[in-house]
Amino acid sequence: MRDFFSDSVSRCAQLQLAASVGTVTEAKTWLDEDTSPVDVLLTDLGLPDGSGLEVIRHATRLNPACEPLVISMFGDEDNVLASIEAGALGYIHKDSTPDDIAQTILDMRAGASPISPMIARRVLAKYQSDRRQQDRATPPVPRGLLSPREQEVLALISRGFSYAEIARLQALSVHTVQTHIKNLYGKLSVHSRSEAVFEATRMGFLVRHD
Amino acid sequence: MSYFVGLGLLFACLLVQAQGLSMELREAQAAVTVLGQTTNQTVTLPYHWDRRHVGVPGEATFELPFKLREVPTAPFGLYLPRLGNAYEIWLNGTLLQRNGDLAHFNGADFAKVPRYIVISPGLLRTSNLFRVHIRADVGRRGGLAALTLGPVEAVYPLYLHDYRWRYMGTLVVVILGLLIGGVALALWVTQVDTSAPSRSRRDRLYLLASLAELCWTISISDTLIENPPIPWPWWGITAIVAMAMWACCMALFCVEVAGWSRLRAVRWLRPWLALLLVTGCVGGTGALVYGYPVALTLWYMVFALTFLFFVPLFLWKAARGASLPHKMVAAAVLLNTLVGLRDLYMFRISSTYGGNTFLRYSSVLFGLTLGYIVITRFHAASGQARDLLANLAARVQQKEQELAQSYQRVEQLAREQERTAERTRILRDMHDGVGSHISTAIRQLESGRASQGEVLHTLRDSLDQLKLSIDAMHLPPGDITALLANLRYRLEPRLKASDIALQWDVDLLPPLTRLDDKAMRHLQFMVFEALSNVLQHAHASVLRIELRSSHAGGARLRVIDNGTGFEPERVQRRGLSSLRERAAAIEAGLLITSAPGNTVVEIMLESPTAHGSPV
Repeated sequence: MRDFFSDSVSRCAQLQLAASVGTVTEAKTWLDEDTSPVDVLLTDLGLPDGSGLEVIRHATRLNPACEPLVISMFGDEDNVLASIEAGALGYIHKDSTPDDIAQTILDMRAGASPISPMIARRVLAKYQSDRRQQDRATPPVPRGLLSPREQEVLALISRGFSYAEIARLQALSVHTVQTHIKNLYGKLSVHSRSEAVFEATRMGFLVRHD
Repeated sequence: MSYFVGLGLLFACLLVQAQGLSMELREAQAAVTVLGQTTNQTVTLPYHWDRRHVGVPGEATFELPFKLREVPTAPFGLYLPRLGNAYEIWLNGTLLQRNGDLAHFNGADFAKVPRYIVISPGLLRTSNLFRVHIRADVGRRGGLAALTLGPVEAVYPLYLHDYRWRYMGTLVVVILGLLIGGVALALWVTQVDTSAPSRSRRDRLYLLASLAELCWTISISDTLIENPPIPWPWWGITAIVAMAMWACCMALFCVEVAGWSRLRAVRWLRPWLALLLVTGCVGGTGALVYGYPVALTLWYMVFALTFLFFVPLFLWKAARGASLPHKMVAAAVLLNTLVGLRDLYMFRISSTYGGNTFLRYSSVLFGLTLGYIVITRFHAASGQARDLLANLAARVQQKEQELAQSYQRVEQLAREQERTAERTRILRDMHDGVGSHISTAIRQLESGRASQGEVLHTLRDSLDQLKLSIDAMHLPPGDITALLANLRYRLEPRLKASDIALQWDVDLLPPLTRLDDKAMRHLQFMVFEALSNVLQHAHASVLRIELRSSHAGGARLRVIDNGTGFEPERVQRRGLSSLRERAAAIEAGLLITSAPGNTVVEIMLESPTAHGSPV
């Protein structure tokens, strides 16, 4: 599987494979030793000696400009949400074609992060429950996590509309819609860091994919 | 008992001390008129009328001459322990005191309390004469006791002592009796045993004690009443009957205390005592109204015999280890019997004329034992209540624990059930979805006839089904919009690959509450199947997905394509029969219309409020 992904990256002319390692420890060591910062990190969640989330955190700590992508078997919401909150800016399905893999990486670099209707709905619901908590207790998590426009975009995604359809409905460019989503990823990640408990709960959902 | 002996001794000492100064006048010249005949005689006081003139009323004049060595300068006191029933006292021709009407028999009775008269020194000479007129009724202890005369300081204490014992003592006993009787009556009224509805629910013990005390009070209060509320002989009978009633009630009280109320002998005792009461009225009437004291004496004897039988039996049982209340009552009975015998001797056998019965004082003991019984009962009851409360608290705690345990069990059971249901669902998904796809792929590979593209398609289908079944776990029940959105997301790569233009016309519907997890999964399968059909077989260029709310609050889902179409009745695709089965399982209406260029698969979901059953 690792070879499949490294091959997919290597084959693309616009991408250069920096390294390919098999465990969390190897990944951390490599990240610590390598002097030139990497642009994209591709990681599975279930690694033999730990979670890919650790690698994501480590990498973004060393180099905040690094954009992590998670390899997910199913793209199911629990795993994807946990990844987003750890700092991932997107995810790739394991059954994607090599071209799709390269394309997703390039899209993300260009500013487009994928999001499924299920995750959009979960983010909306979670944002709303956070709002309720804010109303009740102080000090709250930062207000205005999602802008009204972001909320509208999320609502439409959760109803199954494509980026193009949303752009048409909202009179926006597709690029703007994509930017909204990518911003959202960043916000969720920053937001989640102030919420250790929520993150821990997410971690509990994780399963290993060897 | 020693108390009374002590008092007696004190009384004797006082007499001795007083005799040095005062004189007692016992010799009298009496003119007694009975039934119109007057006889003159010399008598020695006390003159006890009922003893000398049995059964007849009369009048008498006593003349008591006496000499003084010198004429006193200070006032003298005259003390008469008892005289009457009505009387006049003259000294040297001067009226000292008059009480009652000498001519009116059976009127007010003034013979009940001792009398004391202060005599001014001017009235006394060296040679004097007391003249005392009395009127005596039948059975009212009329007559004249010996007179005591002397200086005030010597005579007054004698009178005061006598007065206190007879009047004040009785008053105290009467008040006590009323109090105890009232409390006992209140106890009888309020203490209702509700545990056994068939039996007598109030405690007879209290009623008997109350009646006894009240009767006793009536009987002894006679001493305090000079003007009885009813004429004499009837008042006298009332006093006798009240006394008899006291004794009977006391006997039954003893029976209750001893716990004999269910014995056969007691069944005879009650009517016998009732008979005694009735005959007591008759005997009293015979003695006091018709002048046959024998009737009363006879009755007294039978009465005494009854108690002569009952009291030793009661005492004997008490001595042979009975309950503490029984023993206490027995002690009171014994003491009262002894006092009663003493009174009997003093007033019936020896010819004591003054003084008062001691029984009235000793009878207070019964009230005290009743108090003791009540206190022990309430103590026991409060102890029981405490035990009961403690017991109750312990049992409530135990029940709470049991409840918590059973709740825990139920919860555990529910969890297990949930797990089992979830496991069943997952297994069925694996069987219908991934399992069947993989086995199809294996068959395709084994046969060697299938192309690589077909096998790849089967395996992609399998992975998509797996993803959909995972997504289904998170779908909010009844949210068809979310279901369709998810399906579109999952099938996006295939749609892209197939070059079919998708028209997405999905309204945001409120969740259809009647659809549960299972139903959602069925619906997901159905839409997936419909879309798969279009993708695989229809050769369409446009695919339209519509979701509308129906006017009845349900949902109408349509998958429309412009492909080649098929004849639903003729084509026996496995997918179509599966669609029908699943539609039936979730009670959805399924309408498939197909013509070249326009194929519609319509799924109608009614809300439960609109119709009881599906279309």
